[in-house]
Amino acid sequence: MDIIPQLILNSIIAGAIYSMIALGFNLIYGTTKFFDLGYGALSAVGGYSVFYFYKTLGLDLYVSIVLGILIAGAIGLIVYKSVYSPLRKRKSSGMVLMVAALGVLTALQAIIAILFTSQFQTLSQSVGSERIFNILGGVITQTQLITLLIGLVIMTIIGLVFRYTLFGKAVKAIGDDEEVSKIVGINTEKIVSWVFFFGSAIGGLAGILIGFDTGIEPTMGLSLLLKGVIACVIGGIGNVYGGVLGAFLLAFIENFGIWQISGEWKDAIAFVVLIIFLLFRPQGILKK
Amino acid sequence: MEYLIHIAILISIYGILGLSLNLVVGFTGLLSITQAAFYGIGAYTTAILLTGTGMNFFMAVILGMVISGVCSLAIGFVLSKFKDDYYALGSFGFNVIIYSIFLNWQSLTRGPLGIPGIPRPSMFGFTFSENVWFLVLSVVLLAIIYLVCQFITGSSFGRVLKAIREDEQAISVFGYRTLWYKLAIFVIGAMMASVAGSLFASYITFVDPSSFALTESIFILAIIILGGLANNKGAVIGAVCLILLPEILRFVGFPNDIAAQMRQVTYGVILILLMLYRPQGLVGEYRL
Repeated sequence: MDIIPQLILNSIIAGAIYSMIALGFNLIYGTTKFFDLGYGALSAVGGYSVFYFYKTLGLDLYVSIVLGILIAGAIGLIVYKSVYSPLRKRKSSGMVLMVAALGVLTALQAIIAILFTSQFQTLSQSVGSERIFNILGGVITQTQLITLLIGLVIMTIIGLVFRYTLFGKAVKAIGDDEEVSKIVGINTEKIVSWVFFFGSAIGGLAGILIGFDTGIEPTMGLSLLLKGVIACVIGGIGNVYGGVLGAFLLAFIENFGIWQISGEWKDAIAFVVLIIFLLFRPQGILKK
Repeated sequence: MEYLIHIAILISIYGILGLSLNLVVGFTGLLSITQAAFYGIGAYTTAILLTGTGMNFFMAVILGMVISGVCSLAIGFVLSKFKDDYYALGSFGFNVIIYSIFLNWQSLTRGPLGIPGIPRPSMFGFTFSENVWFLVLSVVLLAIIYLVCQFITGSSFGRVLKAIREDEQAISVFGYRTLWYKLAIFVIGAMMASVAGSLFASYITFVDPSSFALTESIFILAIIILGGLANNKGAVIGAVCLILLPEILRFVGFPNDIAAQMRQVTYGVILILLMLYRPQGLVGEYRL
């Protein structure tokens, strides 16, 4: 196993996960313009739902996954309806929403920990016996390949929806100016609710895929979310492709950064990259 | 009795942290979520100096303040380039970076193992080894810091800070260099947090990185948001409430690990409810 191809593959795998988080986050941020930190906990919600249905109740794998995605989406929607929507109606500042989102994150994580303990759990039944592909001297597992494919598919779907459907255009319009969108007759409340549902579902799916790849724990959300946010800022916040580009760039920087120094520095590297970008190119690589 | 003293010491420590962050968030309107980093710098400086060189506690406190001050000057300078949400995101970043340093600079901090056996403070041959005397010391330090905060916020310097919070552009038109004011208060806040860190290290006699993670910063933020922004009394009241609350939960009879999670749920729910129904907190004079 050569080191360079494996590093490249690792970067691509990490990039696939980050890009899913970034896609969901970007969708929500692009529409509502606030940092929904509570979104991080929804990956854990997705992962643990599958854990419950698949491993505890013994339901069929695909049924469990679909249920997990739906539950993550539903909880995202409930949080929006009960917390963010009233705040947004009152024209609260972005900071109020961010603090409320911090509350959502803390509470959701802890509830999951009470229900399922804070132990590290893995979703896949057969650890170590997964199909493995050799590419250019590096190794990639089946789950990781699936993650990569799903990430690309979701990106394409979101891109197409934005370009060709009325819903996508409405979402874009709200992102540009919510007041004007209301005036021209867009039901903004309904559209934003759907955005939260879809965004949260994507976050949940990311959590599920991570659960099959490595494993889940209640506090997985925050660091994951921060990576997604960093990816969005690097790539261009509010831009669908920017988030994905940023995710892969971030993954490459992280993985090649820890080539020479200890892997524990990964998070620090990510934030150094964030701060550099915020200082010198706050609009990201691809402007919206 | 010992138990009550323990709670009172914790309240003093978190009271200091609340006061220090309130200067930055409440009075100046900068949503900084990195206070635990300076708290940690104070704690680690004390721990390393006391165990390594046998220096006097009070000298170590002063050195800790100096180191925190220098770090916060650099961090504050970078953060001053950002606004609102991005300020918060950037401050997140610095917390993660400093936490990584605690975790990975193993030759200095012993990484995840932490530093045990930190001695209690001593002065003129008298050692604060009894918790009662340690409580006296903490309360005296809390009182001093409270008075300093009162002095700062009541002075003309404090009025400029409030003006920056309300309208930075307007006050800079009057010829005030807002950058220097923001830097000054950020550094003062960090130095105060460092004092709290020194107290914590020598009280618990053990430090490890987990006490200074991002969640700790969020907890300190919750203290001042609950107590009330831009009110020094509020910061202390917030500390009293948030330290007492989980202790009450403990008496309700939850098992220990669930009680810890219940605490998190309570903090989260408190943040959400405050943002929804009382964004100025209990006695606050400013809403985010």
